[in-house]
Amino acid sequence: MNNKHVAVIGGGIAGMEAASVLARQGLKVTLIEKQANTGGKLNDWDHLFPDFSSPEVLVNSLATKTKDSGVNTVYNTEISRIERAGKRFELRANQDARFYADAVLVASGFNVFDATIKEEYGYGLFGNVITSVDFEKRMKKHGQLHTIQGTDPKRVAIIHCVGSRDAKVGNTYCSKVCCITGIKQAIEISEMLPDCEVFCFYMDLRLYGSKFDSLYLQAQKRHKIQFIRGRLSEAAERADKSIQIKAEDTLQGRPLRMTVDMVILLVGMEPGASTSQLIQKNQMTVDENGFLKSANVHCARNQSTQEGIFMAGTAICPMAVNETIENARSATTEIIHFFENRRP
Amino acid sequence: MGICQALHKQGSFMYSDLNQRLKADVRLEEGLQACMNCGICTAICPAAEFYEYDPRSIAITVQSGNHEKIAALLESDTIWYCGQCMSCKTRCPRNNCPGLIINVLRKLSQETGAFIKSRMGRQQYLIVKSIGANILQFGYCVHPTSLVPATHPEQGPVWRWVYENMHEVYAAVGANLDGDGPGAMRKISPTDLKELHQIFKVSGGLKLYQTIGHFSQLKAIELGLTDENGDADMEKYTQYLLNE
Repeated sequence: MNNKHVAVIGGGIAGMEAASVLARQGLKVTLIEKQANTGGKLNDWDHLFPDFSSPEVLVNSLATKTKDSGVNTVYNTEISRIERAGKRFELRANQDARFYADAVLVASGFNVFDATIKEEYGYGLFGNVITSVDFEKRMKKHGQLHTIQGTDPKRVAIIHCVGSRDAKVGNTYCSKVCCITGIKQAIEISEMLPDCEVFCFYMDLRLYGSKFDSLYLQAQKRHKIQFIRGRLSEAAERADKSIQIKAEDTLQGRPLRMTVDMVILLVGMEPGASTSQLIQKNQMTVDENGFLKSANVHCARNQSTQEGIFMAGTAICPMAVNETIENARSATTEIIHFFENRRP
Repeated sequence: MGICQALHKQGSFMYSDLNQRLKADVRLEEGLQACMNCGICTAICPAAEFYEYDPRSIAITVQSGNHEKIAALLESDTIWYCGQCMSCKTRCPRNNCPGLIINVLRKLSQETGAFIKSRMGRQQYLIVKSIGANILQFGYCVHPTSLVPATHPEQGPVWRWVYENMHEVYAAVGANLDGDGPGAMRKISPTDLKELHQIFKVSGGLKLYQTIGHFSQLKAIELGLTDENGDADMEKYTQYLLNE
């Protein structure tokens, strides 16, 4: 097995974790990252749920593990094609670079939902409508949250399910991590600006993870975050740049209008942009949501529908950071089994 | 058997298989696939801002299949508040359309006679009598000659002047009132009117007019609005509805 070569596509946390585990098992591993740095989307993130820890620490430790285990990391290289070449795979990159591997692990991640598609929420039109990703970027860069007028917001509305569970944008699935992200960000705003009222507009609070519900309790009890069950129909900018929002308080059965200083849209996860390219020239397929399809959703989650090509992380479906890392490790086990069971 | 009892008996008979009758309407298939109670329809609904009206709860009631609750909806003012703007269709994340669900409920309320149980529902009679008659007589839903100032105070004082100088006013704004040839408010040809009548006949529109008339007569009798023979006096009933 030691002479086998695995190409890992994507240097986010899934790719880094899997690459380092495989290398420690004695495999030759090439980690191929399209950007100049590894770490992927976490490089823009300020704090992680549920423990408010720093993604930077996590990314750095994964980078160290990757380097120390002997992974060959290639930067600024985007794979556009995975083609079977006999028993091996040929990977082609944008600038004619080619890689050969005995197995491929696709850890190409997800795309953030483009909130301008939900035009009625005014993202890109109104300065005080931002996304959860913008919130993290601002917090990381400036450590504070200001309205476009430069003032401290007194009222913030956090909108759940933007680009998720919505047939109108073609995404009927739940992105799963947005509810807890919204609660985390609500708490952060409340800690930073104790006089600021924060409202979460949700349909169902899907707090599936360990410790997620206690964060919800903390948000209500300690931070007085208000949760309103209703989906936003639209947002409109007023003359003073505040935002008027409309929803139904479905638990009261009453239509509701509210004026807030800022709106944060919890944008969901979509299949990665490169997914459609990567499934050409091989037998990989996508599931009904457009994510990479597993050979078996229970017992072969990390196996694609093409033998020899494996998957890890959010290329399979939306998942949180800890699940992504666990999922990457489970992919390595499947790859090792693949080599062990293969006839020479 | 008293008329009220007869009405009740007929009503309970007509109320059988409500769910099946709702589902038989293709508009329900289009309008209600599965509702997840998010309330975005109520949030966008103009009627919900003015009335005690919640399209989400209507969708949920129909989805529940609860016979009593559906029957109560058919007899309520609620289903008549919708202005059919279909804004709900543009927003629903499940591609439902409460506006279409309302259409189906209204039709069933008309067919079963449930509409005479509510004030807003009883207005169906006035609508058939005015717009319903206009469309067949003139080919227009609203025709200036039918907007008599005495019965249309909502038109305001200027309307009286327009009404009295109708032909001059319409000619002055470039319309061709009751004239042959092209132009706004032109006369609709007898051939086209005949065709329109045929469409109403074949599509069941005329039958619906009759059904609404029939149940409205029963309501008039129930209210004691009768002539010397004990028959429904629909002029009295019209006045009753206008003052209700």
